[in-house]
Amino acid sequence: MDLSETANRKVNGHAYGMSALGFLTRYYIQFLLVISVVILALVNPYFRTVGNLENILLQASFAGIGAAGMTLLIVSGAFDLSVAGLLGLCGVLISELLPSLGVVLTVVAALFFGVLLGLLNGLVVTKLRIPAFIATLGMMNIYLALAFIWTQGSRVISVSDPSFNVLGTGTWFEVLPIPFLIMIATYLVCYGILNRSVYGRCLRAVGSSEIAARTAGLPVDLIRILAFAIVGGCSALAGVFLTAELSSASAIMATGYELTVIAVVVIGGTSLKGGEGTLFGSFTGALFFAVISSALNILNVAAYWQYVVTGIFLISALGVQALRSYIVVE
Amino acid sequence: MSNSPEWLNFRTLFSLSNATRFIQVAESLGVFALLMIVVIGASIIAPGFFTYTNLSNTLITASITAVTGLGMTFAIAMGGFDLSVGSVQVLTAIVAASLLSAVDPPLSILGSLLSGLALGLVNGVLISKLRLPAFVVTFGMMSIVRGVALLVTQGQSVMITRHSEFGLLNNGKILGLPVPFIIMMIVFVVLSVLLKHTPFGRHACAIGGNRAAATVSGINIDRTTIAVFGLVGVTAAISGVMLSSQLMIVDATLGTGFELQAITVSVLGGTSLSGGHGNLVGTVFAALLLATIASALNILKVISFYQYLALGLLLIFALAIDTARRAFIAKSLLSRA
Repeated sequence: MDLSETANRKVNGHAYGMSALGFLTRYYIQFLLVISVVILALVNPYFRTVGNLENILLQASFAGIGAAGMTLLIVSGAFDLSVAGLLGLCGVLISELLPSLGVVLTVVAALFFGVLLGLLNGLVVTKLRIPAFIATLGMMNIYLALAFIWTQGSRVISVSDPSFNVLGTGTWFEVLPIPFLIMIATYLVCYGILNRSVYGRCLRAVGSSEIAARTAGLPVDLIRILAFAIVGGCSALAGVFLTAELSSASAIMATGYELTVIAVVVIGGTSLKGGEGTLFGSFTGALFFAVISSALNILNVAAYWQYVVTGIFLISALGVQALRSYIVVE
Repeated sequence: MSNSPEWLNFRTLFSLSNATRFIQVAESLGVFALLMIVVIGASIIAPGFFTYTNLSNTLITASITAVTGLGMTFAIAMGGFDLSVGSVQVLTAIVAASLLSAVDPPLSILGSLLSGLALGLVNGVLISKLRLPAFVVTFGMMSIVRGVALLVTQGQSVMITRHSEFGLLNNGKILGLPVPFIIMMIVFVVLSVLLKHTPFGRHACAIGGNRAAATVSGINIDRTTIAVFGLVGVTAAISGVMLSSQLMIVDATLGTGFELQAITVSVLGGTSLSGGHGNLVGTVFAALLLATIASALNILKVISFYQYLALGLLLIFALAIDTARRAFIAKSLLSRA
């Protein structure tokens, strides 16, 4: 297919995107969030309480912060399955450094460490030319192993520094948790990067066609490595707040984090094919997952359903995406 | 091949297939040599490694990994992937163990294999009919199946108390060889015949080699994909049955990271992630290598977390070799064409 044909398709896609079904499939996650919140608020009195709202926002911010970086990476056409291991390793690092370094330096060191591990992921993927999802699966094992070795097993290290813990438990006006405010800031920064910067345009270019981007002379490897570093930084940031909230750290503190984060991004409407992504969607997706998980808790559903529900949502979101691209092409 | 267009350069094709075959043999030998070095090294530095009990235990561990690794090799040859095998293994192990309290072993094994087949078919249908990427679908299924396993068992362990003869599947010996090894060899022979000597196997490799060309030549891609993922499900279920007969007590937390092992033995054995061919012999050798390393580390009392580290590093190493091999094939093709 030549270039003009692709362009035509894009134009047609815009025209059809205005149709009702196209609109619905584009903003379905926002609809879903509003509908589920309204129904739950009507049905369950506990759901309406301020405490529950605060809890939902708090839970949303852990997955949400990681998902912001992951959105950029998926736009560039890659993945990172190692975030759970990376987060655990950062948590353990925080617990080791906090007593001697103080809060500010520890947080800076954790973020720096996260970016470093992200760079390492990027180097393994781009320089050894290994498909991203399997390379990061291997890296996940390595990070987990290092965290296990460091803590001599799945030992839980307590982190009890009040001035650090307030990062996870503190609130603004008694409603908005600090991690949620940071999550909003993270999304604003990532939005600026993706939609208002040269680097964001490079990310989208690499994601839509790596060959075209290479031919155009873009430093594809460097662009991807930086995206991996951003994911590393975001995961470390989530790790800071998770450690502060739990007031403890262990190697397995974030088991399944990679699944939640990728599910949040995909359900938000970012295409796995790369090239385009919506941070607003990821933001909504994170809130949606937190609402569902809180609903499951309130309705006393066995915690194991969490796994089933997350997996089903991931696969159905892919189905919706397939439907949308079908509509766009038609 | 008989009605290929004339412009196809047969010499190029021939040299390509020769190059791949040469590399495949070299790689099987390479993994085998590595295995021999590790075995000899382990016998020297780890006293008690080269004993009948330990060797047969190592063989059993290797066989359980190899069975699923062989199925995975099929999927990778088709250009696919299955991240759900660890969860499928544990769920089918639970099915086998739970059914034993009600029915005889043959029926419980059958039930376990059928549930593995069903889960694999679900993977295949989602991937082929909805055109979703294999690794995300199986990633989602990994979570769903794990959740179902936890729900079924309520987080408790399932102990096999009746039918103690079920344990023979693990500790039985035929001609001095452990039964799991025999099972693995049977799976190996069946899959080798399927891969090399049936249209099904050739179609799977054709899809992995060049999907567009396979479509144009009339191969039913959907049906082959569904069948291959069904096959992977069955091999994971066989591993599940072997696991439950090995432990005689199973719970839903088993088998985490099993998908990583299965993928590692396939790639380490010389099956390229780019698809198009599968090296089943290499997979078996690689599974033996992995089990030998684990057993040696155990005897040397290295804490088990270093085994995760070894597994991760081994995977990255194998993948790096795979990249180098692909570059080599591309180069030799360019120079001969």
